[in-house]
Amino acid sequence: MTSMVPSSGQIRDALYQATYALRDNRLRTLLSILGIAVGIIAVIIVGVVTKGVRERVFSELESYGLQSFWIYRKDPAAGPNAAVREGTGIDDEDLQAVHLGCCPAVLQVSPRVYYTDWNVTIRSGNRFDRVLLEGVDVTYVDISKDVIQLGRNFRPADIESRRAVALIGTKVQQDLFPENPDPVGESFRFNEMKFTIIGMIKEKNRDFLKSIGAAENYDINDRILIPYTLHQQMLGSKEIHTLAGEAVDVRSMQDAQTQIVELLQRRHNNKFAYTPESMEGWVHTIDSILTNISLVGIIAASVSLLVGGIGIMNIMTTSVVERTREIGIRKAIGAPQRDILMQFLMEAVFISTLGGALGLVLGLAASYGLAAWTHMDVIPSPWIMLGALLVSMTVGVVSGYYPARRAASLKPVEALRFD
Amino acid sequence: MLRLSNASKSYRSGNFALPVLKNVSLSINQGEFIAIMGPSGSGKSTLLNILGCLDTLDAGTYDLFGQSVDHLDEDGLARVRLKYIGFVFQSFNLISRYNALRNVELPMVYSRTAPNLRTRRAKHALQLVGLGDRLLHTPAQLSGGQQQRIAIARALINNPHVIIADEPTGSLDSKSGHEIMHLFQRLHAAGKTIVVVTHEDAIAAYAQRIVRVKDGKIDPTK
Repeated sequence: MTSMVPSSGQIRDALYQATYALRDNRLRTLLSILGIAVGIIAVIIVGVVTKGVRERVFSELESYGLQSFWIYRKDPAAGPNAAVREGTGIDDEDLQAVHLGCCPAVLQVSPRVYYTDWNVTIRSGNRFDRVLLEGVDVTYVDISKDVIQLGRNFRPADIESRRAVALIGTKVQQDLFPENPDPVGESFRFNEMKFTIIGMIKEKNRDFLKSIGAAENYDINDRILIPYTLHQQMLGSKEIHTLAGEAVDVRSMQDAQTQIVELLQRRHNNKFAYTPESMEGWVHTIDSILTNISLVGIIAASVSLLVGGIGIMNIMTTSVVERTREIGIRKAIGAPQRDILMQFLMEAVFISTLGGALGLVLGLAASYGLAAWTHMDVIPSPWIMLGALLVSMTVGVVSGYYPARRAASLKPVEALRFD
Repeated sequence: MLRLSNASKSYRSGNFALPVLKNVSLSINQGEFIAIMGPSGSGKSTLLNILGCLDTLDAGTYDLFGQSVDHLDEDGLARVRLKYIGFVFQSFNLISRYNALRNVELPMVYSRTAPNLRTRRAKHALQLVGLGDRLLHTPAQLSGGQQQRIAIARALINNPHVIIADEPTGSLDSKSGHEIMHLFQRLHAAGKTIVVVTHEDAIAAYAQRIVRVKDGKIDPTK
């Protein structure tokens, strides 16, 4: 008895016979190879595009700090000017309470103070610019994962002494100081007060957030940060509009937000409700959306692979019929059924693997093209490539099995009689 | 020794069973050269298929070199063919895209002979049949007589006990036909058992014994 597992010699023989047979029908073989290649290209493109989009979106979201959150008063019924009428629900005393160590899951916080419509007009020389103006603490730059590209961050003394100093976004530099790439030391006027620029914040990518309409009128690069103490003085209020915070680690995100919200509610006798918001929440939402999109893509790619597999089954069935006599000859001289099965199975696997390899090469080329075009990291991982080859081999085995089984079970006498 | 006892075989056609071999008994001794003759439809091809283990009996027994083959399955029969039987067909039955060498090597692929040994033995067999200079020719590049000699080399390659030839000269001109029969004679002289089916008296004359088949029976009068 021969063993059930083919030896390497048997595989080599079957492969040799397979390549020989396929050379007879070059066009037919090529078309079947293309059928599988198209399926594999589809799989690869779907794989790399979803991976690329995911990485790009996540890195954008991460640039805002995955451990960071924002808490503000929630009151949809009160309308946009509720803060004006009833207060923001957060004030300096709340901030002090947080600083005193109410919340073990919180690493640091910073107040954010702003005008309710965000935008203000500033002037430098005879240039005017509409910008976002926010009052923050020294910790804010760190909490929001901003990078000081030029100059320096605020110092505690700037906050305490309400100094008229400012950090600006790159867009402000472009609008207000187009001929000066290093505006540190320059100044602008707001409310007849002269502010000195002490630093510029590195540009942040906001393609994704803009594309989904989030923070539409909040261009983070067109922003000016000033000491919140100064901003409060200008507003004549001790109120804080939003509390920005950072958790001690990603796992403590939920705790950190809950601790602060509960503190605020307690301090204000449950008068207000508060909404915590974080990029981490976005990451979960986007993750499930992208998973669904890639699922649809994978189903579409699978359908094209299925069609490729049916193509292989078709040509293998034809091939078995055409070579009935050859099968008869092989059986007459003593070929066991398993050898015949292996031979035709090898042909199918050979076609599908060649198709897979071609698909891989073309898919890789398409990925590099796509990467150059979209500036996305869409180069397939070795796992995607290995997976594509394994999938194409499996398609060959599955679609080749039935025709190969038919070839192996032919009766030698009847097969020899076939012309 | 090939021994067929009370062998019967019918072919089914719809609801009818058409008897092709009726209670045939036949013994062929080791080293014998016999010719089976008979008109077409007499059952001689069926007899040959049975003798060559390409087909099985409905009734009766067939012993091949002291071993019953009646209860063997498809693969069991294939092993018997691979080991004990060499076939030569009227239409040569070579694999057209393989060259002479690969055609002759084919049975050794199935008998799991090591590749380097395969090539050596196939070359030797082709030299034996006078095709030592045609190793890399494909069947289409060779004459009918040469193709039949490749087939004979292939039949011999696993050193079988018996060569079974179905009208081996039927597709050849008479000169090539006689060359092939001379080759069979040489193999017979070397000790092979040879069974040839033919309807030509001139071909049958090479054999030691002639068995005539008529209406599915062996004709005892001749």
